[in-house]
Amino acid sequence: APAAKMAALSGGGGPWRRGWLPVLQLVRRGSKAVTRHWKAMHFQRQKLMAVTEYLAPRPAVPPRCLTPRRETREEENGYARLLRRQVEEVFRDNRMVVVCQYNSMPDEDVVLMRQYLRKHNIEVKFVLNEIVRPVLSQSKYKNLLPLFVARNILLVSQETKVKEMLRVLKGVPQVNLLAACIDDTILSKQGVENFAKLPTLEVSQGQTVGALTLLPSQTSSLLQRGSAHLTALLDQHIRQLQAGETGSPEEPPPAQS
Amino acid sequence: KKMASKIRVVLRPVKSIVVRFCPFEPNVESTRKFLGYINHKKVQATNRNCEVTADVRHDGSEPLVDVMFADGERLLMKGANLTTIEMLTALGTRCNAKELKEEQKSKKKS
Repeated sequence: APAAKMAALSGGGGPWRRGWLPVLQLVRRGSKAVTRHWKAMHFQRQKLMAVTEYLAPRPAVPPRCLTPRRETREEENGYARLLRRQVEEVFRDNRMVVVCQYNSMPDEDVVLMRQYLRKHNIEVKFVLNEIVRPVLSQSKYKNLLPLFVARNILLVSQETKVKEMLRVLKGVPQVNLLAACIDDTILSKQGVENFAKLPTLEVSQGQTVGALTLLPSQTSSLLQRGSAHLTALLDQHIRQLQAGETGSPEEPPPAQS
Repeated sequence: KKMASKIRVVLRPVKSIVVRFCPFEPNVESTRKFLGYINHKKVQATNRNCEVTADVRHDGSEPLVDVMFADGERLLMKGANLTTIEMLTALGTRCNAKELKEEQKSKKKS
């Protein structure tokens, strides 16, 4: 009914007469304009809505084909600065720094591992690659740069207790030792194992001292060898003469050394 | 872009996985991430018997993933030019194929 009425009132139909009365007036059965259910729009209204739909403006060239605008780093995050400072301190203070790959472990195992390593004075540090990389590239540890991909942890210590650390890590399969930096020397995994097999400092010092004193002790005996040989030969000669001339008076020894 | 955590790999037909890489080489990132992914709780939970070993060398060799299946088949993935997702999908499809075969076999028997 309302649609029919509107069609009758609209005066711009062209060849149609103005203001014609509809033949059929659906008064009884048709619903009103405002209904509680969704009512389908009149077809003309549908067409109008379809034509006047919003089209988002699209650039001629899609933005991903153009070179990306380099975003300037706004402010340095204070937290990142703090973490970077901590990493620098770690590298400066500790003699031994071991880099390991960390694959996700159950939390209790993490705590146990931390506890075992603490007993040997080794600290476990979780690091973020994006913080460690700039620190390393500026310091002298440039060769450690390619190590820091994927999740890593650092085991740092003032002493170099490599054997105990290796034993703890063997019990934890999810942490893989990649490399270590001990006393400013970068060692691979093989190098770390060799380092663990080395004797302690006192033993190696004793071995060096022994090797060094071996040569001088030999020198003195070498120098005296000639004259000692001569005296031995002469003594034997005397004994032979004495044994040969039984009863004859003892001859004085020909030479006195 | 697919997330690596969305790919579910069922490791039941797998006997052992050996991941070999040299951490000082520049092309090991995808292999290391792959190793990190298979060590995750969920993936380990699909098969407790699967042994995952990481072989860390320093001889300049390229990164390699060696998978031994329970029926004797072997899968070698040279990770130098592969991404993590490619490796995971390759392993995942093969595992699923083997699972289907085993299910069909068990259905035929019963």
